[in-house]
This record gives sequence, C-alpha cells and structure tokens, in this order.
Amino acid sequence: MRWTVLRRCVISCALLMLVLPAAARTRPHYGGTLRVEIAGDPWQRPDGLARRLVFDGLTAIGTDGAVKPALAVEWSADDDDHRWQFRLRPGVHFQDGTPLTSVNAAAALNAACPSNCPWTAVRAVGSAVVFVGDAPMPALPALLADDAFRLALTINAEGKTPEGSVGTGPFQVAGFNNSVLTLTANENCWQGRPFVDSVELRVHRAVRDQWLDLSVGRADMVEVSAEMTRQAQQQRLNVIAQPDATLLALQVNDSGPLANPILRTALAEAIDRSALANVIFQKQGEPVAGLLPQRVSGYAFLFPVERDLNRAHELRGGLSLPPLTMSAESGDAAMQLAAQRIALDLHEAGFTVQMVAGNELRTNLTLRRFMLEGGAPGAMLETVLRAANEQPAVIGDGPADLYQAEHEALERHTLIPLLDLPRAYAVGARVRDLRLNADGEPDIANASLEDAP
Amino acid sequence: MSLRQKLLLLFSLTVAAAVAAVAWTVLVRIRQVFEQRDQEETALFVNQFQREFQHRSADVVAAIDRLAASEHMRAAAFAIAQSGDTSPYLTEAQAMAQDAQLDFLEIVGPDGKVVSSAQWPARFGYPEPAAVRAGQAAFLKSEDLPDGTTALGLFAVRTVRGAEPAVTLVGGERLDAAFLSDLPVAPGMTVALYSDPSAANGASATLFDAQHLVGTAGAVTGASRYQPLIDAARKSGQQTSAILYLTDRREESVNATAIPLKNDSGALPAVLIVSLSRGGMVEAQQHIRAIAYGVASGGILLAIVLSLWIAARVSRPIEELARAAEAVAEGDWETHVPERGRDEVSVLARSFNHMTGQLAAQREQLVQTERVAAWRELARRLAHELKNPLFPLQLTVENLARARALPEAEFEEVFRESTATLGAEIANLKTIIGRFSDFSKMPKPQLERVDAKDAIERVRALYEPTASKEAGAIHFAMDMADEPMPMYADPELLHRALSNLVLNAMDAMPEGGVLTLSAHSHSGQIEMRVADTGEGLTPEECERLFTPYYTTKQHGTGLGLAIVQSVVTDHGGTIAVESREGGGAAFILTLPRVQE
Repeated sequence: MRWTVLRRCVISCALLMLVLPAAARTRPHYGGTLRVEIAGDPWQRPDGLARRLVFDGLTAIGTDGAVKPALAVEWSADDDDHRWQFRLRPGVHFQDGTPLTSVNAAAALNAACPSNCPWTAVRAVGSAVVFVGDAPMPALPALLADDAFRLALTINAEGKTPEGSVGTGPFQVAGFNNSVLTLTANENCWQGRPFVDSVELRVHRAVRDQWLDLSVGRADMVEVSAEMTRQAQQQRLNVIAQPDATLLALQVNDSGPLANPILRTALAEAIDRSALANVIFQKQGEPVAGLLPQRVSGYAFLFPVERDLNRAHELRGGLSLPPLTMSAESGDAAMQLAAQRIALDLHEAGFTVQMVAGNELRTNLTLRRFMLEGGAPGAMLETVLRAANEQPAVIGDGPADLYQAEHEALERHTLIPLLDLPRAYAVGARVRDLRLNADGEPDIANASLEDAP
Repeated sequence: MSLRQKLLLLFSLTVAAAVAAVAWTVLVRIRQVFEQRDQEETALFVNQFQREFQHRSADVVAAIDRLAASEHMRAAAFAIAQSGDTSPYLTEAQAMAQDAQLDFLEIVGPDGKVVSSAQWPARFGYPEPAAVRAGQAAFLKSEDLPDGTTALGLFAVRTVRGAEPAVTLVGGERLDAAFLSDLPVAPGMTVALYSDPSAANGASATLFDAQHLVGTAGAVTGASRYQPLIDAARKSGQQTSAILYLTDRREESVNATAIPLKNDSGALPAVLIVSLSRGGMVEAQQHIRAIAYGVASGGILLAIVLSLWIAARVSRPIEELARAAEAVAEGDWETHVPERGRDEVSVLARSFNHMTGQLAAQREQLVQTERVAAWRELARRLAHELKNPLFPLQLTVENLARARALPEAEFEEVFRESTATLGAEIANLKTIIGRFSDFSKMPKPQLERVDAKDAIERVRALYEPTASKEAGAIHFAMDMADEPMPMYADPELLHRALSNLVLNAMDAMPEGGVLTLSAHSHSGQIEMRVADTGEGLTPEECERLFTPYYTTKQHGTGLGLAIVQSVVTDHGGTIAVESREGGGAAFILTLPRVQE
C-alpha cells in the first residue's frame, strides 16, 4: 500500500516536473537575434519582408482577416464613400524620432502611390489624413492595409530627407553587410517592443542553402516555396503555411494578336490547371478560375476550372496567329516550368508560344503571382486588379456586388486565374509563437526565441 | 628565218616537248598514286569512325541499362507503380540525365505517359510512343524541344526491372556539335552531321537545308558544297564518297564520305559526313609539281643553250660558206672558208675553196687571154690605123723621089702636093696617136651637182645644128621629165660620154633619121637614153661593144664606147644597150640621183 502511495507520489512528481517547463514555455522571452533567410529582395514587393518589419500602414489586417486600426485609430466616410478621413494615432514617432503627423503621413502616401491610386487626392487636415476620390471608395480602409501603402518617412523633423529607410514599425534598420540586413528592435514602437532584439535578414539566398542553414542551426526561419512544401514536410522540417495566400495567374496583353476577347477565352479554356497544381506545384496549389479564394469569396466554385480543349479549338476557329510571346514574372524554376507547361497546353490548342526572358509588359502573356492581401474580399479583389494594372470597378458591399465585379473582371480574360498557392516558411526549433498573417506574411514582431536570455 | 634560228627552234621544241611529256606523265602518275593512297586512308578512317559511332550507340544503351538497373530508379518505379502518384518525380529525369551525362532522358509511366522529362520538363503527362521499343538496340529518333526546335538523338529504351506495371526509361544522346566533338578524329579529319528530324518520324525527306548541317564548331562553312554528296547518300541510302572543293583553291578540298544513318524503320534521318582534308596531299603534289616545273624549266633552258651551241656549231660553217659565196658573187674570188673536221660540211668547205681556187686560176687565165687578145686587137688596130696613112706616105715619098727627074716646075708642083699630102697624113697619124693617148689618160672625175636635163641639152645644142644641115638630115627628139634630176658628176666627162654616144648614133644613121635624147628619174636613179633609128646591132656586137678597140665602123678606133663605159663606171653608174637588128639601138646610162 505504502509502495503504491510512494509510487503515486513519484509519478506525480515526475509529471509535475514535466508540466513546469511546459508552463514556462508559455511565457515568451525578450532578446536574441532571429536569423531569417530569403531568396528575394527584402524591400521589393510583393515579398519584401523588411517592409513589414520597418513600416506600418494606417490600417492592418488581423489574423482573422478583419481590418483593424494601425497608425490610424479611427476613420469615417462622407459623401457616399467619396471622402475618407483617418485620424492618426497620437504620440507615434518614426524610428529617427520624427513625430508622425498628418503632413508627413500624407507625404508618405503620395510617395508610396504616385499613380493609379485608389484615391484621387490625399492631404493633411489637422491631425487627420483625408482621402478624396472621384469614385466611391468603400474598401479604402482595407486597401490601406496593403503592403504598398505603408508609410516611409520622406522628410524628417529637420526638413531633410532621411538616410535609409525609416518607418514606425517594430524594427529599424541597423545596417547591411555581406548580404545580411540587420534590423534592431524599435524600443519606442507604438505597438510595443518586439520580443527579439534584432533580426538578421540574409537576402538572395538559394532555397537549398536556406534549408541547409536551417538544418545545421545557422538560420531560424527560411522560405519554403509551394512546390517544395511537400518535400520539406518529408524532410520533417517545421513548416508553417498559409493556404491561398498567392494567386498564380496568366496576365494577357489585350493589344496586338490577342485583342480579340474570344481568343483570350480560348487561352483560358486551353490551360490544364490540374497538371500545374498536381505535378509542378506538387499538389500544394488549388486550381482556381476566380480571382478570390473560395474561403474569401464563397463562390469561387462557380467558375469552372476544368480544361476544355475542344472548346478552345472552337473558339480559336482555325485562326492562324503569329507566335505569342510569354514570360514568367519570377525567374524561379517552378514559375518557368509552369510557363513552359502553359505554352505546351496552348500549343495543343493551336497557339504557338515562344518563351522569352524579357520585359513582361512587352510579351503577350505573362505568368504572375499576386499577393492576396487586403482582408476584405472587395479590397483583396481591388488589390489584385490594381496589381494587374487594371482599373477596378466600384465594388459594393454585398456578395452579389462582389461576384458581379469579379465576373466582369474575368470576362475580360486579361487575367486568367490558375492556382491559389500557399505561402510557407520552415522555422527552427528555438523559434516560438511565429504565426503567419492572413496574407501569409510571418508576424515576426510577436515571435520570440526559446534560448533568449 | 636563218638556218641557225630554224635549228634553234627545232631543237628547243623537240626538247621542250620531250620534257613536257615526261613531266606530265610523272605528275599524272604521282597524282594517281596520291589519290589512291588518300582514298585508302579515308576508307580506313571512315571504318574506324563507324566503329566508334557504334561504340557510342553501345554506350547509350549501357547508360540506360545502368539507370534502369539502379536501386534508386527501381525504388522510384516501384513507388510509381504502387501509388500511381508521379508528381514527386517531376524533376527526377533531369538529375539522372545529368549524372549519366545524357542529353535526353524521360521516365515513362505504366500508362505510357511521361512522368519526368529531362529535355522538356513541362512535357509530363504526355504520351511517349518510343516507350514500346524497350529492349531494342539504339536507334535514331527526333525529339521536340521546348524552344520549338527538333533535335535528333541516338536513343535507347529500357524497362526498369522489378516494377509491375512497367516503368520505362527513354534516353539518349543528342547528335549535335557536342556529340561530334566528342568523337575521336584523326588529324585533318572533320566530321559533320546533316540531320533531317522530320525523316526520323517517317515523314518524307525534305529538301537540303544548309542549316541542318552542323560540325564540331556549330554551323559548317560552305555547307552548300556538301549538298550533292548528301543528296546522293540520302537518295541511294548507301555510303557515298566524293572529293569536294570547299573553295576555289585545290588545297581546300576534302575527301568526303557520307554515311547514311538509318533508323529501324528504314528512314534516313541523318547523314554523317566524314571529311579528310586533302590539303597535305595537294600541297605535296604542288611541291612535287613545282620541283618538276623547275627541273623541266631548267632542262628546257639548258636545252635551249645547248641548242644555241649546237645550232651555232652546225650552222657556222654553212654561214661561212654562204658569206664566202656572197663574196665570190661580189667578185672577191680570193675568199676562203676554214676547213674543220672531216664531216660533210668540211668536205663542202674544201670543195668550195677548191672551186674558188679554180675560178681564180681560170679568171687569171682568162685575164691573160683577154689581155693577149686585147694587145693583139690593139696591134691589129694600130697596124690597121697606121697602115692607112703610111700607104699614102709611101706613095707620096716614092712620087717625090720619082719627081726629081722631072723639070723644076713640075717637080715644084709635085713637091708641094707631096708635102701637103705628107703633112695631112702625118696629122692623121698624130690624131690616131692622140686618141690612144687620151684613152690611156682618163682623168679622175671632179664631181659637182649637175642636172641631167642640162647635160643632155648641152649635147643637143652642140650637135643638132650641124646634123640637121647635112645631106642626110638627122632630127633630134627630146623626151625629158619635168622634174629636176640632180646628180653628182664631172660635167666635162659626162659631156664627153654623151657626145661619144651622140656621134655614134649620128654615124649609125648616114641616111638620116631620128636621134632621141631622153632623161627620166625613178627608184633613186637617173636614166639617160640616147637612141637612134639606124640599122641596129646584132647580139654578138652588143656583147663586145664595150670591149676596148672593138668597133663596127670602118674608121673607128674602138675606144669611144670604152671611154663612155669608163666614165660611167667612175661615176658609180652603169651603161646598157638595147637593140635589135634593123630596129635601131639605144644606149642607157644609169647614174645615182642626189638624195634630198
């Protein structure tokens, strides 16, 4: 009996010893350097990770996809959404100490969007920033959460142009040396100090090398492309992914040989999306024919994704076209292979396609990736269309209006949706609480390190 | 053309023809031998090359065999066969092809569709008809590429062991410049490949396209020069050889062999061209030819020199004989030619010398004979001339002697008559002696510019008045050219000669007649003619007419025409007579005209 009690006590103690560290893990530690490796440029959209860390927008998208205040604490619309007024968060300072004012906020927005903006004019009125549009702008708060409209200081308190990139984000630029961009924690960040002291962002690193660095402990977070997600999982890497974060689409130049919309329709019918998703992107992509993901719009299933080669032939009508040129926006292997596969599909439909490595605007077809940002469906649709250099129509609030707007955009067949692709990262064992936002970007500011002091 | 030149030309042509014939024969033979050796060498290299090509085919088969037997591929094939999920192996073929150093590799699933393609990764899911040829030997196949082109390759197909249903590997090596450059070639050898990918898949052969011909360095320069050979090989399907001139220079020619590469269906998708440069052979030929030409030229030059020497040696005695003959013809009878050796020419020279010696002796005899005859004629003439006045002198002296017996008065009369006769006959004797004396004392002519017309006019003016008044009147006719006829002559001697001719003509016409004086100029000569209408001369008289002391007249001394001839000869001219019996006679003086 005593032995039984004793055994129970020992077991209880052992369980307690196991539970205590687990409880300790729930409290994030401050400090440490998070080592991140990426293949692209840290500042370049749409994958510019440093932009998210250094700059903030007037609004932000929460993990639930809803618009939430950021540098603006409240906003209101007048004149049937033609005029929006955003009141700035008080007491916010840029990383060099320059206070955030409506004047430098308006200047930053004008610098961020010199043309083709959702608004007609933006100006400072008192402590507020006022947007005026010729057309109604119902989705403006969600649009302002877009990565493109984050505020970078243009003129500091001394009236001079600041050296380097200065924002209000959780990290500030400390230096760039040997392909490593060092960001240090912004102690005075309006959101509060991030957990890690600094982030070392190694740029232009090949994915294979990133994985190697992660496996040997030289990196804490590395990129995992969609087509390699499966392989990463097979290698037992800790992969965090956000599905439907990227739209793979074929942008069609509607001038020149493809000015006829029927021919563009034939192109859309000729492409075998399942081959792209199942083979090239290793079953990580979702074939789509709509611009918005099913989880966002709820009606994406209405757009058929199956290939109809016979209809493509019928639509082409035996018309002999000059060779079409096609390029892939990104030079990575999967994009190139996808472009080649699309060229092969189109060849079956009677189109001759030549792959070129040139300016995408000069080619008839361009395979592109679009970040699905914006949170709200309307804003996300508008963001995609603007990224495709198309002028979006005014999108109403209701699902019917959204469907109508997307249907009209798809009917033009200047942007043929192909796949929704995930964004994924592999993280090391010492990284804690790293999550991805709705657009697939990692929330580094809220991540911490296991072995931080 | 002289004899020496003829001999030289004959000898030179003979030697040159002989040398040329020998050189041509040697060069042709050398060329035949070289080309035979070249063809044999080319055939040897082509055989070696064909064996190497077969080795490469075997290498491709072996590489595919190794891949199909590898554990990695067998595991993949098993997984594909079991799960049917081919997506994890999308890039498998690229890595395997890289490891095996293959240009083409496709993994074909059990459904005959491409699982992974090294050459066209995007082609997954498409059927690969060649998969059914698993186990066969290497074959030629055209392969579509992503850039829209088609490449020809040497393929093999093998089934991966152990997987059911079967997974196959279709792989090969591209027949391109890199493939050719890997083949071992002999020095001077080049290889090129003409590919017609459309023919590999059973389509009919297309027309020759120079862009389809590639060498180890890519495009082949002057590809069109290979067209006849390639077309012949494609048409016949047999190995074909020919000499191709890549440029207009002979040394840039090749001995090319076109080897048709057939696939198992009998189609002819490619022609392999093995070319062996003829540059070395042509250069050797040219070197030999240059030497032959040099030797031939030297031989011909030496032959010409020898011909010159021989021609000179042969022709010199004949030329000396010719010159000697000309000298003899000009009157130099003392000419001799050297007598060398004992050949026919020396015999001829001796005969010539003997002949000239005989001629000179005979001439001397003739001169002596003529001289004796002349003296006899002179003696006869002197005797005849002197006998005529001596007979009256004798009669007069005898009359005078007989007259001493006559009375004084008669004697005085006879004496006066006799002394008158004696004086007349003695004067006659003086005249005769003066003529002979004048002939012996012909002066040397004092030349000056004289016009022939003036000389003839002077003679006419002297004799026409007297002749026209005599009983037998002689009419003078003049036939003169209008142009001046200058010449260098002694006026007095010329006048004397013309006077003698005019007096002879007047003597020839005792019954009267027409005496024609004429002067004309032609061919740089002045011809003065004195013609009469007398009885004329016989041919025999004409022959002896200019012999001194020969005369046809009763009282002539025979010195008149001799004097005329002497004067004409001293002036560098000639005298001739034209006459026929009963038709008058004409004496023609020809003297050189002053050249202006």
